[in-house]
Amino acid sequence: MAAAPQAQAQPVSQAVKGRQRRAREEELLVWPDLVFIEFIAAVLFTILIVVLSVMVDSILLDRANPAVTPNPSKAPWYFLNLQELLLHMHPALAGVVVPTIALIALGAIPYFDNTPEGQGEWLSTPRAWKNTYLGAAVGAVGTTLLVFYDESKHIWAFEKLTGAQWPEALNFMRGLRGIQNEIAWPAWTLDVPLGNLLRADLLGLPAIELDWNIPAFLVEQFIPVNAMVGLPLLLSLVAHKLKIAQTKRDHMILQFSGFIAVFVTLTIIGTYFRGEGLNLVPYTIFADPLH
Amino acid sequence: MAATERPQGRSMGDRLYDAIFQNRLWRSIFRSGYPNTPRNQMLAVATNVFLHLHPTRIHRTHVKITHTFCLGGLSFFMFLGLTITGVLLMFYYVPSVDRAYADILALETDVRFGQLMRNMHRWMAHGMVLTVLMHMMRVFYTGAYKPPREFNWVVGVVLLVLTLLLSFTGYLLPWDQLALWAITVGTNMVGSAPILGEPNRFILVGGFQVGQAALTRFYALHVIGLPLMAAVFMMVHFWRIRRDGGLARPL
Ligand code: HEM
Repeated sequence: MAAAPQAQAQPVSQAVKGRQRRAREEELLVWPDLVFIEFIAAVLFTILIVVLSVMVDSILLDRANPAVTPNPSKAPWYFLNLQELLLHMHPALAGVVVPTIALIALGAIPYFDNTPEGQGEWLSTPRAWKNTYLGAAVGAVGTTLLVFYDESKHIWAFEKLTGAQWPEALNFMRGLRGIQNEIAWPAWTLDVPLGNLLRADLLGLPAIELDWNIPAFLVEQFIPVNAMVGLPLLLSLVAHKLKIAQTKRDHMILQFSGFIAVFVTLTIIGTYFRGEGLNLVPYTIFADPLH
Repeated sequence: MAATERPQGRSMGDRLYDAIFQNRLWRSIFRSGYPNTPRNQMLAVATNVFLHLHPTRIHRTHVKITHTFCLGGLSFFMFLGLTITGVLLMFYYVPSVDRAYADILALETDVRFGQLMRNMHRWMAHGMVLTVLMHMMRVFYTGAYKPPREFNWVVGVVLLVLTLLLSFTGYLLPWDQLALWAITVGTNMVGSAPILGEPNRFILVGGFQVGQAALTRFYALHVIGLPLMAAVFMMVHFWRIRRDGGLARPL
């Protein structure tokens, strides 16, 4: 921004002219170069959408009936990632807290990574692609493994591979709920009176007497939150130690790619692998729409 | 008129050109002649309210398809297409639990091109969610969110939310089983928030379960509230692209 000393030695107008001329040579006129591309893109996509619409009809099931709950009931596909989360943690966490924080974090990206590095070109920093692959792979594989764990697929694999039964002593590792259901928690841990801790009355709302169920809290909130915060941090830490992620932009690419991979994986699982009773089985809405 | 100046007189093409582009009608509309000279090309962009969303010149790297994959533009294209087909759908649709489903059925069977309109609207709605998400990814991976474009990224996140809400509110309108239960599942998520969740869900749905009140609200949001907000934010988005000096470039 500030004019360099040499630039001040020569007439300002000359300096400005020189700079503009260099930039101008790199420039094209919007009409026709850009307008033409936009026009072609619009025509192509109009054709594409008309052809698609002629070939594939939109879905329309029976008239809405509040008395008949379809099994499974699913949100629109772009929310199935959240619906999938809902199966693994406290509903308030999956339905409200996680999406809110995710959106705020998304909006905050430029304020974390405000370096000019790698601006205006596809993945142009030295380790950009590496971090993209790493983040995407860890996000996709990690999410799949976590879902498998919570659905006790490791038990299934263990019993298939060894032919043996899953040892009873390890029943608390059947899935996340195992920690709550398969451990003999002392009675007092299920019901710790916290009283009016939230002070909702200060907001003019009814006071809420809280009873703290420690095992449920562990399984529904403590462990999920720690996994969702801790695993990404761990990923960044390991990538840092391995010198894969060194700059802010590296870490940003790593985390963003991880996030997208988690988002896509959860959406795919929620859309194509949650059937009746939201069990983990292949499913499409088109095969059996009336259920 | 010296012979050296006009050796052959005006050609047929010249006269046709003047007849079309130099007459008072054309001039009253477009102000510049046909954009066949650099001057007229720049004027065409600068003096047209729609085209002047663009600058008159842009950097050559930004014209390459692989820089943006046209994704922001396609999101906008989808929005425009949805507006057009959406208005046509409104001709045949009444947002009442007694009529909505029958209106959609009639649209599909009795209305000429009705099924096509509905299909186009629905596919573009899905398409817009996809293009907006992919646009966000392209902006991220080209590092185009960095200063001075931080705020436009935030505007973009708002547009992403508005796009999802537009699609979500539209999902209820056919009033079939898919619509009812998807919106029930979706709004129950809102209701699960501590303390404020249930009151919020109640306001959104207008009752304890998804019924006429919800349909009315979703319809109003879908056809006017959210599109207006999206249009305003798009205005800001496009304006900021220009103010931030066009698309991002390497320093
Ligand atoms: C309705 C949704 C949206 C529309 C219609 C839209 C439209 C556009 C258009 C037409 C451009 C010009 C360049 C291009 O085509 O890529 C652009 C650029 C941009 N968009 Fe969006 N956008 C939307 C959503 C978003 C979202 C979700 C984000 C990010 C979270 C975002 C962030 C940006 C930024 C930072 C730029 C400047 C890019 C650069 O300088 O290279 N936009 N947008």
